[in-house]
Amino acid sequence: MSTMDHAHSHADDHAHDDHHPHGWRRWLYATNHKDIGTLYLWFSFAMLLTGGLLALGIRAELFKPGLQLFQPEFFNQLTTMHGLIMVFGAIMPAFVGFANWMIPLQIGAADMAFARMNNFSFWLLPPAAILLVSSFLMPGGATAAGWTLYAPLSTQMGIGMDMGIFAMHIMGASSIMGSINIVTTILNMRAPGMTLMKMPMFAWTWLITAYLLIAVMPVLAGAITMTLTDRHFGTSFFNAAGGGDPVMYQHIFWFFGHPEVYIMILPAFGIVSQIIPAFARKPLFGYESMVYATSSIAILSFIVWAHHMFATGMPVTSQLFFMYATMLIAVPTGVKVFNWIATMWQGSMTFETPMLWAVGFIFVFTMGGFTGLICAITPVDIQLQDTYYVVAHFHYVLVAGSLFALFAGFYYWGPKWTGFMYNETRGKIHFWASLVTFNVTFFPMHFLGLAGMPRRYADYAAQFTDFNMIASIGAFGFGLSQVYFLFFVVLPSIRGGEKAADKPWDGAEGLEWTVPSPAPFHTFETPPTVK
Amino acid sequence: MSEQNNSRNLRTALILLSVAVVFFLGVILKHSLLR
Repeated sequence: MSTMDHAHSHADDHAHDDHHPHGWRRWLYATNHKDIGTLYLWFSFAMLLTGGLLALGIRAELFKPGLQLFQPEFFNQLTTMHGLIMVFGAIMPAFVGFANWMIPLQIGAADMAFARMNNFSFWLLPPAAILLVSSFLMPGGATAAGWTLYAPLSTQMGIGMDMGIFAMHIMGASSIMGSINIVTTILNMRAPGMTLMKMPMFAWTWLITAYLLIAVMPVLAGAITMTLTDRHFGTSFFNAAGGGDPVMYQHIFWFFGHPEVYIMILPAFGIVSQIIPAFARKPLFGYESMVYATSSIAILSFIVWAHHMFATGMPVTSQLFFMYATMLIAVPTGVKVFNWIATMWQGSMTFETPMLWAVGFIFVFTMGGFTGLICAITPVDIQLQDTYYVVAHFHYVLVAGSLFALFAGFYYWGPKWTGFMYNETRGKIHFWASLVTFNVTFFPMHFLGLAGMPRRYADYAAQFTDFNMIASIGAFGFGLSQVYFLFFVVLPSIRGGEKAADKPWDGAEGLEWTVPSPAPFHTFETPPTVK
Repeated sequence: MSEQNNSRNLRTALILLSVAVVFFLGVILKHSLLR
């Protein structure tokens, strides 16, 4: 601690702010928000590659009709684990990594509110991931019930299912602690003068996301706890033979699951809302309406869950309610897309890599949004339920939405993290390769779904072959693009390169650009004043 | 970094945690007791 005190006495000299523990202790005992952010980002990238490998297994099997590589049981494990790993291991922790790194810097706080709990939130994740991934090695393999873990499949499987349930419990606890930390930090630790309505949009979207997480992660925990007691303790929550109801599981799951969808996209909206104004060199159009639109999407997300289960059968009035409520979400989402475009309108736009990803996001995410509206129409959805159309839809919002925004955020804030500029040409190669291969992979799935190809099958009828071959080729291209990103963009930009200015983007606004690049270990120990 | 230990942060965290606990127990109790 004496070195820390020494550093504090030289508050003006940033070199002294860089005192930090070395070796493994720095990471295992990390309480610094930047270090924990870095841990989250590396963890999520490792999970992205793991989930990506499973996806390539799926696409390899589906390259041709007939069974080539895997038995159907194992194929179902691949689809299930791909979903679980990507949702809970890759996308969610990546956004928490961004929150850890950027929220204290954006609101002028010295660190997160609960630094030790922050450490615990992160270090719960690796054991949970190991538990989840190692369930492949158990008798009967990993859970194969789909990422939604529907009963009765989930009440019948082997020990891999229990490992999956425990992994979800641990990841849920991590998310709840992380969210409590984020809400407390934002509500209580903003710099003087930083009113809520002056907060950067990324902090706003995360505040709303954290509330969603606190409300719905316990519901998922409740659902899988009931699954666990059905499996081992003689209850019959979801067991029809004992008086339970498997459809009830779907209701509870989707009460969590639909807000979860917005948990994965709202912070992406926040990142894009920071990048578009910076590269259009104009303030964000309609800041207040962005805040209200984000809140509206969050509130509406609680009353649309049954649009995932139209095919289970429900009264027509329920169908109409869930259909119209779902369509209503297009209004605040439309406000957002309008505001992004209005921000760009007559701006002095340049297209460095972060802006390419952000504009790419708007195009491709909006396509996913429109197919979402199509799926919201009850009679159409009953046709499309469990076809590749739905797979195409949610990959357009989760890959082209969440993942593209994460890449945008990496290129935008990466120079602040590493102190070095990434290579612009390589960044652009990564963008264009990803955009093209993404569309080659997922656009044909719309046609497959409309033609009736069901999801979660290892085999298909011969008439679906051409589009499946195209999708598989695209998927391997997309995977290669991300390997290129790791070896030709991320690692070189950590090792060195052109030194990043404190504010590398001349149109960027916000407190994070007032600190040096790379951001020193300790920042804002004396809170800045915001006018 | 004195804010990290203040009671206001703790109060906020406890309120949020209690919401989470209510949702967790609520969903199980509702389906155990109110059938």
